[in-house]
Amino acid sequence: MTDPQPATPAPSTLNRRKFLATAGAGVAASSLMTMLDARQAPAQIKGTTLRILQWSHFIPAYDTWFDSKLTKEWGDQNGVKIRVDHIPHLELPARMAAEYAAGAGHDIIMNGSSILTRLYYKSLADLSDIYDASGKKHGGWIPTAKSLVEAEGRYYGIPLFYILLPMTYRKDLFDANNLKAPDTWELARVAARTLKPKGHPTGIQFSQCADANLNWRSILFGFGGAELDPSGENVLIDSRETREALKFAKALFDEGMTAEVFSWDDASDNRYLASGIACWVHDAISAYRTTEDTNPDVFKNTVVAMEPAGPGGKRVNTCAANVWMVWKFSKNQQAAKEFLTHMIDTASEGMTASRGYNMPYLNGLAKKPMPVIGTDPKLQILQDFPPIVAFYGYPGPFITPIQEVVNLFVVPDMFTRVARGQSVEDVMKWGMGEYRRIFAKHKRA
Amino acid sequence: MTPASLQGGGPEPTARAAVVSVAAPARSRLMFQSQTSRRLAFGYLLLAPAALYVLLLVGAPFLFSLYLAVSDANVGEPVAKFIGLENFRSAWEMDTFWIAFRNSIVFLVVAAIFKSLLGTSLAFLLLQEFPGKKLIRGLVVIPFTLPIAISVLAWKWMYDSQFSVINWVLSRLGLIGQYGTDSWPIWLGDPRLALLACIAVNVWRTFPFSAIVLLAGFTSVPLEVLDAAKVDGCSFFQRFRHVVAPMIFPILMIGFLFDTVFTLSDLSVVYLLTQGGPANASKILPVLAYQIGIQAGNLGRGAAIALFLVPLLAPLMFLFLRNLKRREY
Amino acid sequence: MATAMTLRQKERRRHLLIYAGLTPFVFMAVFPIYWMLITAFKQDPDLYRMDNIPFWFNMAPTLKHFKILFFQTNYGAWIVNTMTIAAWVAVITLVTAVPAGYALARLRLPAAENIGIAVFMTYLVPPIILFLPLSRVVAMLGLQDEWWALVVVYPTFTIPFGTWLLMGFFKTVPMEMEEAARVDGCGYLGAFLRVVLPVSLPGVLTAVIFAFTLSMQDFLYGLAFVAPGDQKPVPVGVPTELIRGDVYYWGSLMGAALLVGLPVAVLYNFFLDRFIQGITGGVGK
Repeated sequence: MTDPQPATPAPSTLNRRKFLATAGAGVAASSLMTMLDARQAPAQIKGTTLRILQWSHFIPAYDTWFDSKLTKEWGDQNGVKIRVDHIPHLELPARMAAEYAAGAGHDIIMNGSSILTRLYYKSLADLSDIYDASGKKHGGWIPTAKSLVEAEGRYYGIPLFYILLPMTYRKDLFDANNLKAPDTWELARVAARTLKPKGHPTGIQFSQCADANLNWRSILFGFGGAELDPSGENVLIDSRETREALKFAKALFDEGMTAEVFSWDDASDNRYLASGIACWVHDAISAYRTTEDTNPDVFKNTVVAMEPAGPGGKRVNTCAANVWMVWKFSKNQQAAKEFLTHMIDTASEGMTASRGYNMPYLNGLAKKPMPVIGTDPKLQILQDFPPIVAFYGYPGPFITPIQEVVNLFVVPDMFTRVARGQSVEDVMKWGMGEYRRIFAKHKRA
Repeated sequence: MTPASLQGGGPEPTARAAVVSVAAPARSRLMFQSQTSRRLAFGYLLLAPAALYVLLLVGAPFLFSLYLAVSDANVGEPVAKFIGLENFRSAWEMDTFWIAFRNSIVFLVVAAIFKSLLGTSLAFLLLQEFPGKKLIRGLVVIPFTLPIAISVLAWKWMYDSQFSVINWVLSRLGLIGQYGTDSWPIWLGDPRLALLACIAVNVWRTFPFSAIVLLAGFTSVPLEVLDAAKVDGCSFFQRFRHVVAPMIFPILMIGFLFDTVFTLSDLSVVYLLTQGGPANASKILPVLAYQIGIQAGNLGRGAAIALFLVPLLAPLMFLFLRNLKRREY
Repeated sequence: MATAMTLRQKERRRHLLIYAGLTPFVFMAVFPIYWMLITAFKQDPDLYRMDNIPFWFNMAPTLKHFKILFFQTNYGAWIVNTMTIAAWVAVITLVTAVPAGYALARLRLPAAENIGIAVFMTYLVPPIILFLPLSRVVAMLGLQDEWWALVVVYPTFTIPFGTWLLMGFFKTVPMEMEEAARVDGCGYLGAFLRVVLPVSLPGVLTAVIFAFTLSMQDFLYGLAFVAPGDQKPVPVGVPTELIRGDVYYWGSLMGAALLVGLPVAVLYNFFLDRFIQGITGGVGK
């Protein structure tokens, strides 16, 4: 059952004023720009409530903007009472399972890192109309967007923004040692090799955490490796390129890192950079921002750079996706869809509120200059990332067995084993075995 | 807390009191029979609230989780099919499963040993009279009162590969090397240390619990019994072995059993410290079950893993508890 | 005179031995707490320097983390929620577990043995599975996203333990006392209320303390059933707002834990006193 398309007559200013007057909403205080941008929402959602569940954004100001400005203004304008709840992003799957089991909960729910849309799609509302309309309106979705939310030809979620994990390095240390900027992984390795004896090793998480899943895939894909073929039928992990990437990781570890990386979690590289030790890290700009807030001396020498290229010149940045969905059991799907459309339309404002963290999935919103990163000279390079962004399963789709592969940290485990001394061949066999087992289980089901 | 507040049943107790006063004159078997039925009625009435609560809110969900374990339930399919022991079979096929199984057992045994030793010694010490006793008692229970989600996070920082306070102290004392050398332990990153680090946090958190239960047990031994034993010339150890120990044994065992089940199903410590890493070195069954069942949405397999120990432990516990209940002294 | 001095010396030596024995325990228990306390007042740059001494301030202490805690998060609401939930759960546990414990300990009910064991077995089912069907129960009761949901759910893990603990305590009450009371015309209920309960007060109080503490520990149920910021208890609220993405607000996190844990520890201590008093006052006749 697809939801009826909301009727959208071309709003004349006269109509809008009349609508707002009858709605009795006190919109005088709202920004004029938002009002003019907003589509005129149909009257049937007036007086309803909308409940949204999302993560605690790592930039508190974004949550303040979202909770107190965006939702409030839209809600007032459309006569909808909106309540926004937050839980830690790693626990969203648990809450989602609970709401699924209960058959009740929020109207809009979000996933970050672990994208379970394709898993839950039978219980989610079909959002194809919004997906297509927004794609048309904003210059099309980037290629990786589709596989996050597509199931059986329809779209069950809206990818709103992704988070980059760029190379961030200490220019002062590089310059002092005549090192070239880490434009390739080989240069990054040379830098680590040179700087480790001087007390400035690097680090990437060789552990079971979300960033490990992302970082090692960036290296894997950059070296030409792949997880699935575009059809999603074949696992392509077992390849020469993967072996190259594994060998590289071992060398990088031996030459440029210390054993502490085995205990790292998502926040460890932030701390490493902020403490002044790291010569470079590969992490979201949260590391950059943390350093800005806690160690100004180190910060002024910290530079964000383009994703390093692998031996074949390929650059791939595996990103953390964030997808918004609507439950089928929601009693207010109409308002939910309207609000989601509004969120897409105001994505640029969201990017500003997030200090440049939220990267848009829509091409039209990624035009330069982008908010914050377009104007901050140290972050301008991030604007060049959209074409090289990838997601789990690259270049194939993000299907359910891949989600299990991600949840069981198979890729980080492969790299950890190699770093710990297991032979590349043995690790390859183990890794392929895990993939095969997981895929077979899902085929059986 | 007055007796009045315990009269949950309203008219019943007064009715019963009336019946008692009417039946007061001692008679023969009839009197005995009605006394028995009164006793039974009273007993079941007292038991009812707790039993009902648990049956409805735990028993029913337990049956549901059994259903999950034998079906192909996952969050994608609203309707699940019965698949027998298939989920258990897939679990057996995973090496990670056996690693988690072994780790769970190791965790349980090592933690139990330390908790008993530490808890008992502490309880003994706290039994003594000395100035400052109240303060010390107050201090040692704090680990137990801090919300686990946050105290474990504190330990995460204390074990940090760079900033570990523990390493800072040990290296200042000369027991380990400097940061960056091989003898600087990476608590959560070294496969040999990770599980131990988690066990240490669990022990730290719950040994006050063991001590309190023991203390409560010790202090509930009637003084007159102890005095009688003293008068009879028993030494401290004899008193302990023959008088105190049997009396507190039930309480001790309850504490021990509960601690066992709490530890076995406890997710928080490992989940927050290592997520089961590095490379599954510290993965325990609840964490694995959570990752497969909830995070990956495969409810059937997650339930099977979570419930795996039940058929093993249930009979043991059953026998143990029956034995315990039979002790009358 | 010589005897008195030796006695005092003996006493002092005994005390010293005890202190020596206690030192490792106190150190183990308190060392992390002390560290947490210092961290709660440390400035962030102070915390993130490796060469800084972790046990004292290298830069001036600050109240910033507490300000964040109280003014930028819902901490106040969380504390109130946690305490209220814990109190209600303690009451429910008391009302159900005390009678149940007594029934199982003293009333020689057939099948009671198996009921008791079944009640205990419920602990073998891990919460990670239980929370799903409980989710449905909570939704059916209309309590989803209110802290009352937790008041309903927490007794599931406090009642079994409470029952068994109290069973143990009730068993230590001499049968003769009860029988004497019943012969005096008290009846079963009277014997229970007027004789057994007062004597077992320490056990009852212990059960109350445990119920209270256990309900302050839970994270999973709180996460699954309560999402709104002002309805959460502390263990759920704190990680939600003080761990954002991969950034941890250490100072505030530590402060949050201590502000909740320390008063409860003080409360504990108070109760522990009460039941020691209860014992020396009651039983030894």
